[in-house]
Amino acid sequence: MERDVSLRSGRRIARALRELGYEVSEHDVDSELVADLKAARPDLVYIALHGKYGEDGTIQEILEILEIPYTGPGVFASTMGFNKVLSKEIFLREGIPTPPFFALSAATFQEMGASRLLEDVAGRLGFPLVIKPAAQGSALGVRVADGPGDMAPAIASALDYDDRVILEAYVRGTEVAVSILGNEELEALPPVEIVPRGRYFDFESRYTHGGAEYHCPARLERAVAERVAEVALRTHQALGCLNVSRVDIIVDGKGIPQVLELNISPGMTETSLLPLAAETAGLSFLQLVQRLVELAVQKQPS
Amino acid sequence: MQSKGPFDYFRGLYADRTHSMMSSEIRELLAVTARPDIISLAGGLPYTGVMPVEMLVELAERVFREDGPGAMQYGPTDGYAPLKHSLCMVMEEEGLRAYPEEILITHGSQQALDMLSKILLNPGDPVIVEAPSYVGALNSFMSYQPEIHTVSMDGEGLLLGELEAVLLRLRRGGRRAKFLYTVPNFQNPAGITLSAERRLGLVELAREHDLLIIEDNPYGLLRYEGEPLPTLKSLDPQRVVYLGTLSKIFSAGLRVGWAYAPPPLLEKLLLAKQSADLCTSTLTQRMAHAYFQTQDWRATIARLVKLYRSRRDAMLESLEEFFPEEAAWTRPDGGFFVWASLPPYLDTKSMLAKSVESKVAYVPGTGFYPGRRGANEMRLNFSYPEESDIREGIKRLSRVIRREMSLARSLGLDADGAGR
Repeated sequence: MERDVSLRSGRRIARALRELGYEVSEHDVDSELVADLKAARPDLVYIALHGKYGEDGTIQEILEILEIPYTGPGVFASTMGFNKVLSKEIFLREGIPTPPFFALSAATFQEMGASRLLEDVAGRLGFPLVIKPAAQGSALGVRVADGPGDMAPAIASALDYDDRVILEAYVRGTEVAVSILGNEELEALPPVEIVPRGRYFDFESRYTHGGAEYHCPARLERAVAERVAEVALRTHQALGCLNVSRVDIIVDGKGIPQVLELNISPGMTETSLLPLAAETAGLSFLQLVQRLVELAVQKQPS
Repeated sequence: MQSKGPFDYFRGLYADRTHSMMSSEIRELLAVTARPDIISLAGGLPYTGVMPVEMLVELAERVFREDGPGAMQYGPTDGYAPLKHSLCMVMEEEGLRAYPEEILITHGSQQALDMLSKILLNPGDPVIVEAPSYVGALNSFMSYQPEIHTVSMDGEGLLLGELEAVLLRLRRGGRRAKFLYTVPNFQNPAGITLSAERRLGLVELAREHDLLIIEDNPYGLLRYEGEPLPTLKSLDPQRVVYLGTLSKIFSAGLRVGWAYAPPPLLEKLLLAKQSADLCTSTLTQRMAHAYFQTQDWRATIARLVKLYRSRRDAMLESLEEFFPEEAAWTRPDGGFFVWASLPPYLDTKSMLAKSVESKVAYVPGTGFYPGRRGANEMRLNFSYPEESDIREGIKRLSRVIRREMSLARSLGLDADGAGR
């Protein structure tokens, strides 16, 4: 589903790698992928694939079997990060604040009459509710329900993207994305603040159509900014990430950073947040790519 | 997931109109359908296979041998005169008489749509379109920030009562629509044709309300059954701008279209064309002319009609066989598209994700409306995929729809009666 972004990220990364002096060949995901990898035996695979296969541990597993080093976190972190139910369960276990939620599968609706649960969910979480597919890298299928009547249609749409849907309490606050770089020694890049146009119901339109404003570094009080960085670092570690991740957070009214999700293959296009944060930290795109390559080489396949 | 949002350093520089240019998530969804393993009923491409490559080589050679320097030079803004004669001949095929000096050759009829918007629309001006309407036209109009009013259609095309209501409402507010945009033959996306009676009624209504009509006719010569109907232009030449194109009967790659407009409008279009691109490619215009001069172009159209007719039939038969009975669809007499409506509780936009998993794609309906309508509708193309793919594609799509309906029922959506 995120083919377009992946291709744009990929082209840009390939160009940077060539400028850095590496020999690069570009590969799409197709039935020849494994055969080509076995034939070429590259020194490193740079994964520029967002969403399914690139972010869910699929490609990572293939590369582990072939013992080819690759950029970004490994199989465990990818699998956990891509599935928002699993990652939120880990956040809870590790004491990382995350908005309260429930998750239901398509089967519970089709075979167990779970539509009768919706009023209970609403009673427990209140409105507005964020309704989203459990595993889907992009914003597709994400909706906000303002009242009971919005729930079933939003759930039906979310279930088009994954077999499981998350119903999550909507948290009002400042949205930030924090990118983390490193293997053992971790660095949190300056947080990027995302300001959706209009009020909260524009949340949905921001996710689907863009049209938000960005501030980097985020306009947060120093103490809050430090807390945000600390929570992002803990999240990165909790999922066992290596190399890089981007943690999406909402700082609630009390200044507490609530973690929404973690991305293990952040966008690398001209308009993406990781390159923007890196630039604010004084790291050009070329330097960022070089750094990610070095981190990947350091990390051996497990 | 925010990272995919557009951070843009040039944000502060854009004109207001740039923000109204539509970028759609549908495009994002459809990016994936270019994969070869997916049967795409989403495109709108003509089938170019009926044109022998040797013939195209001959045309190019002829153009360069006969008038190489001319084909490399600027040309007149209104178009290459000999080609204008050929285009008049093409219009005559549909019973429309024109003199070469009444037409302006454009870079596809898409350019004519953009230039008409440019010369006619101030921000906030009312324009009227069919619902659903051609998305390329909507995008053109939207760039000039008009207020878009829609008129629904039934099997015979535009509902004249609804159109009159819009016109009266505007008039009561002391306003006047700048134009009505219509594709009267085998409309993209709905596949509907404006009936003979409605054509007369429309022209009469337009006269009463002093309404300018833009008649876009890309598919008129691709009729698979029934008798050709008179163009609106022939019914009231002074009130109609007629847009033609070679894209569907010869080549979309040449980018040759034309506008046949009342003289004062033609003059303004000429000014707009001058500032847009000085002239349409002199090379492709000469190739198009050579085609009409040397080839049996009517035979090419006959071949296309035969091919497209069997593809349309394959689609209609498959729909009949596989689609659930709760669905409805149009039965086009020509053109490229069938328009399908699913139960109101289904959302064709999110369903596209499921369809792509099942290796079949279509275009969700919402993109063809300026507002939020069309959530349960879809456009299906039959001109490009082969018959066996059409059949298999509709079969796969039907399975997806039935699964969606069962999920929606388990959520109680079918009982609400409301759309999503």
